Amino acid sequence: MSDKPLLQADGIAKRFGTVVALRSANLQVEPGEIHALLGANGAGKSTLVKALSGVHRPDAGSIRVNGELFDVRNPRIAAEAGLATVFQDPALIPDLTVEENLRLTNLPSEVVHDWLERMDLADVDFEAQIRDLPLPTLRLLDLARALARDPSLLMLDEITAALTADQAEHVFAVMEDRKSRGKSVLFITHRLGEVLRMCDRATVLRDGQDVEVCVPGEVGEAGLVQAMLGEVAKATPDESSALASLDEAPVALETIELRSGDEVRGVSFSLRAGEVLGVAALEDQGQDRLFELLSGDRRADAGEIILADGEALDARSPYDAVRKGVVLVPSDRLHALLPKRPIRENLTTPLYNKITKWFSLAGDEKQRVDSAIDRLSIDTRAGKQAGRLSGGNQQKVVVGRWLASGFRVLLCFDPTRGIDVGTKQQIYHLLRELADGGAAVLLYTSELAEIPLVCDRVLVLYDGEIVDEQPAVNATEQALLTAAHGISEEVA
Amino acid sequence: MSLESREEMVPDISQPRWTIWLSDHPLVVLGSVLVVLVLVTGVIEPNYLSVSGLRNTVLLAAPLGIMAGAQTILMLTGGIDLSVGMIATAAAYVAANQSPNGALIAITLGLLVGVAAGTVNGIGVGVFQVNPLIMTLAMSSILIGLFTALSFTVLQGSTTVNDFISTLGGGSFLGNRIPYNALVWTGVSLLIVYGLRYTGFGRLLYALGDNPVATRLAGVRSWQVLIVAYALAGLLAALAGILLAGRTGAVDLQLAVNFLLPSVAAAVIGGTSIFGGIGTYSGTVLGALILGVLATMLTFLNAGQAIQQIVYGSIVLGLAWLYARVTGVS
Amino acid sequence: MTTARLGSVRDVDWRVALRRYGWNTGVWLLLIALLVFYASTIPSFGSFQIASIAKNSLPLVFLAIAQAVIVIAGGIDLAVGSMLILSNAVAAQLMDEQAFGITLMVAVLVILMAAALNGAVGWVISVSKVPDIVVTLATLFIIAGLALLVLPSPGGGTSDGFRALFTGSATGTGTNFWPALVMLFVPMLGAAWWMKHSRTGLSLYATGSDPTAAYLSGVNTARAKIVSYAVGGAFAAMGGLASLAITGSGESRFATASNFTLKSVAAIVLGGVALTGGIGSVVGAAAAGIVLFVLSPVLSAMGVDPNTAQVIQGALIVLVMMIAGIVQLRRERAA
Repeated sequence: MSDKPLLQADGIAKRFGTVVALRSANLQVEPGEIHALLGANGAGKSTLVKALSGVHRPDAGSIRVNGELFDVRNPRIAAEAGLATVFQDPALIPDLTVEENLRLTNLPSEVVHDWLERMDLADVDFEAQIRDLPLPTLRLLDLARALARDPSLLMLDEITAALTADQAEHVFAVMEDRKSRGKSVLFITHRLGEVLRMCDRATVLRDGQDVEVCVPGEVGEAGLVQAMLGEVAKATPDESSALASLDEAPVALETIELRSGDEVRGVSFSLRAGEVLGVAALEDQGQDRLFELLSGDRRADAGEIILADGEALDARSPYDAVRKGVVLVPSDRLHALLPKRPIRENLTTPLYNKITKWFSLAGDEKQRVDSAIDRLSIDTRAGKQAGRLSGGNQQKVVVGRWLASGFRVLLCFDPTRGIDVGTKQQIYHLLRELADGGAAVLLYTSELAEIPLVCDRVLVLYDGEIVDEQPAVNATEQALLTAAHGISEEVA
Repeated sequence: MSLESREEMVPDISQPRWTIWLSDHPLVVLGSVLVVLVLVTGVIEPNYLSVSGLRNTVLLAAPLGIMAGAQTILMLTGGIDLSVGMIATAAAYVAANQSPNGALIAITLGLLVGVAAGTVNGIGVGVFQVNPLIMTLAMSSILIGLFTALSFTVLQGSTTVNDFISTLGGGSFLGNRIPYNALVWTGVSLLIVYGLRYTGFGRLLYALGDNPVATRLAGVRSWQVLIVAYALAGLLAALAGILLAGRTGAVDLQLAVNFLLPSVAAAVIGGTSIFGGIGTYSGTVLGALILGVLATMLTFLNAGQAIQQIVYGSIVLGLAWLYARVTGVS
Repeated sequence: MTTARLGSVRDVDWRVALRRYGWNTGVWLLLIALLVFYASTIPSFGSFQIASIAKNSLPLVFLAIAQAVIVIAGGIDLAVGSMLILSNAVAAQLMDEQAFGITLMVAVLVILMAAALNGAVGWVISVSKVPDIVVTLATLFIIAGLALLVLPSPGGGTSDGFRALFTGSATGTGTNFWPALVMLFVPMLGAAWWMKHSRTGLSLYATGSDPTAAYLSGVNTARAKIVSYAVGGAFAAMGGLASLAITGSGESRFATASNFTLKSVAAIVLGGVALTGGIGSVVGAAAAGIVLFVLSPVLSAMGVDPNTAQVIQGALIVLVMMIAGIVQLRRERAA
C-alpha cells in the first residue's frame, strides 16, 4: 500500500433537522483494497456514502482523495474525481429508457453493454423503460454504469440485498477484478459472510461514529457483530411464566393461507391476545406486503384474515381495519406523521374517522391526548409542529395515536429504525406493557438481536413464506439469521 | 404503497429563532402589513381614514374574502378550485332568475347550484382522483358553456336581483356605516374559523393536506372528506356570487371572473400553503382586506390597471417567499 | 429470491408499447378523425379551411408546447398566457410600420427576451423554494401588467411579410396553407427532438420524473428547471407572435392571458403529459392543442351551438382524466 490513502474522510458529521445521522466518522480506503463499511441500522453507513458521493454536504469534516483536500459539492464532481457509487435506490430515471439514461449521464452504451454481458445480462433491452425492469436488473445496470467510468473507488451500498445468489457472484467477480487492477471498492452489506469472504479491512460505524477498523478474517463474525452492536439494549426479558399461559389466551388475529402476488405466498399464523409476536426476515422477503394486507392497505389475492370472535377482517381500506381494531405503526414516519400539525392533532386524527364525529371535537380529547403523552413521556416542547420533534419522539407520537383511540391488534413495522437506544427501550417496554394489558402485537424488526428481549414467539419469513417458528427466548441473532437466510443461501 | 423508508434528501435548514416565532405567529406580520397599508393610503388620501372610506374597502373585500374562504378550505387539503368564479356567476344567475319568487327561494336555489357544482368537483377529485386543477378547470369550462347557452334561453333577462339581495350585497346600516355584506362575511368567518379549529372535520382537512398517506393509514376515508370540502367550497363561492350580484346590481357572465385569481392570492397572502396542511381562515381574511386596501390605494394613486397588477403580483410573490424562508417548507 | 425475474425484457409485449405511444397515437387519431368528420360535414372543405385551422391553432399549439416542456420538467407555469400577451404587445409596438427584415429581427429579440424573463422566473422558483404554482400565479399578474404598460390599448401592427410568414397571406386570410403548416410542424418536431435526444432535454425529463435519481445521476436539477422555463417562455413568445400575425395588431387583455393559460393546461393534460412530471411529449400536447381548437368548428358544423360545444369540451377533459385516473389506479393495484 502506498503512503497516501486513496480516500481519507475525517470527522464527517451530518444532521437532518433534529436527527443526528453522523457524529464524527473517519474512514480510510487504501488503493487496491476491498473495504467493508459495517454498522447496525441507523449507524450512518448510507449517510457517509452519500457524503462521499456529493449527495449530502457534510456539516463538518474533510474529505481527501489521494492526499488532496477535495470538496465534493455534487455527484457529478464526485464522479469526475473517480468516486462512483451504486446507491441503495438505483439512480435511474423511471420514465426514461435504458439508452436514454446512459445518454443522460454521457456514457457510451457499448461499454455498459460489455459490462452487462460479463454479468449475464446481455439481453437487457436498451429501449425498455426503467420502470418496466425488475429491481435486481436495475442494481446491476447501475453497477455497469458505474464501472463504465472505471472509477478508482467503487462504492456499493447494499447492492447484494436484492440479488439472487448467482447475481451476487457476478458482483463479487467484479470486486475481485477491481482489486486486481489496483482499484478499490467500498462495500456495504448486512451479510457478514460476504464481508469475511471478500473484504480486506472493515470499518465499523455505531451511532454515527467509527468504532473500529479491523481485518474481518482476524476478528471473525462474532467480533464484527460485537463491534456493530456494542452494548445491546437491555430490556428485561419477560418471565417464561407468561409464555405458558399464552396457549390459553384467545386468538386475536389469524391468517389462513394469505396470498398476494409473488410477495406473500401462503402465510398462515395466529396471534394471541397478550402476545408480542415477532417477525424476522431479511430485506424484501414479503414482510412489507404482509403488513399492507393486515392493515387493510391492500386486498389479498387469496386467503383470509380472521379476528377474535371469528369475524373476517375483509378490509377494503385502512378504515375498515382501524374500525375493527387492527392498527398499523409504519416504519417510515413520513407515512404516519402529520409533520406540519401539532402533537395533539397527530394523536387524535383517528377519532374523527366516522362522519358522525365530524361536527365537533371529542369531549374527552384532552384527557386522551394527555394520557397518551404521559404514558409515552413524549417531549412536547416542540409540540406545535410534529415535524420538529426528534425521531424518537415522532415515533412515540405515531404509537400514541393508537393509544389515544384504542385498538385490539397493533401491527408494528420496524418501529425502532433509526431511533436512539433510550427511546428504543421505552418503545419495547411499552409494547410489552400493552401486550400484558391484553393487546396483541405483531412486530417486524430488522434488529434481530432485540427479538428475544420483547417477543414471546418469533416467525421467520423467507421469500413470502413462513419457514420457521420458535419461542423468542431461544431466538439468538445467529439462529434467526441462519433461518432468515433460508436454506439455499450459501455463506462462506 | 411501500412501507420502505427512504432517507431524507432535503438538507437541513437550521432555523433562526425569530423565524420560528414568526411562523408560529404569522398573523402578526399580516396585521402589520394591513395597518401600514391603511396608514399609507391615509397619507395619500386623508379622507380615506374615515368610516365611509374604510366601509368601501370592506364592501370590496367581503365577497372576495368569502370566495377566498372556499379556496382556503380546499388549499388546506392540498387542492384548489379554479371554478369558484364561474360557480359564483352561475349562482348569481339563478338567484336573479328566481328573484321574483322572493329572496329566500332565490338565495336558496342559488346556493344549491354552488353545492351541486362543488359536489361534482369533489366526486371527481375524491373518488376518481382527477387532479383538482384539471377537475375544477373543466367544471369552470362546463359552467361557462352551460350558462352562456342558458342566458339566451331560460335565463334571458335574468340580469337583476331583487331589492333584498341588492341591500344585502351593497347596502349599509347604522347610518350607512357598516355594510350588510360585512355582517354576512363576519358570520361566515366565525363559522369557518370555528369549523377549522373545533370540529373533527376541520382536523381531517388539515390532516389530509399535510400527509394524505398518513391520513389514510389512520383510517380516514379521504373521499368523503374531499366531497364535503368541495361542496362547501361551492356553497361559499355561490354565496359570494350572490352578494356580488347584489353589489353590482346586474348579473352577466363576467360577474366574478376577475375574482378567481385574487381568491387564491388572498389565501396565499394569508399564509395558507398551496401544498396543504398549513393555514388559517383568519389569515385569509387579512389577505382579502390587504388586497382590498391595496386596490383602493392604487385607485387613489391613479395607478392604471397595469401598475395594479404588477404590485399585486409582487405582493403575492414577496409574501410567499417570506413564508418559504420562515417556515422552511411551503 | 427465486421469484425475481432476471434481465430478459424482450418479451414485454404490446402493452408496454401501447402505454408508451398509445396516448400520443390516440390524440393524433382523434385529431384526424375530427378533421375527416369536419371535411365530410361542411359543404366545401378545401385549402381555405386547412389554412384557417392550421394558422388559428398556432397560438394554442405553441402555448401547449411551452406548458408541456415546463410540466415535463416537473413545474407548471400559470403565466404562459401572460407571456403570450406580453410578447404580442412588445412585438406589436416595435413592428408597427416596419419593414419585413426589421420585424424578423424584432421577432428574434422578443423570443430571446421572453426566454430570459421566464428563465429568471425559473431561477426564482429554484432559489426561493416557493411552489411553482404560487410563483407563476404572481408572475401571471406581473407579466400581464407589463404587457398592459407596453400596450395600454389594442393597436400596433406588423409587416405584411411577417403576417404571411405565419398565415400564408399578407392579410391573414387566404388559401395558402403551407406557411402555417411549416410553422406548426417545424417548431413542434424540433422541440420534440430536442427533448428526447439532447442531454439537456433528457435532463428535463429526468428532473420531472425523479428529481432524486436525476441528482444522483449528476443532473443539475436547478439548471434543468431554469432551462425548462426559458424554453417555455420562448414558445409562449412564439404564440404571441403568431397571434400578432393572425390579427395584424396587438392586444393585451388580462382575460386573454388567463384564458390561454387555462387552455394550455387543458391541452397538455389531454395530450398525455402527466402533471406530476416526467411523462408525456410535446407532440401529444401540440396535437391536443389543435384538437381543442378544432372541436368548436367541428361541433358547430354538426349543428351544436358554441356554448354546448364548450360544455362538451369541459366534459371531455373530465372524462379523459377520469379514465386515465382509473387506468393508473388499476396499474398500481396490479403492481
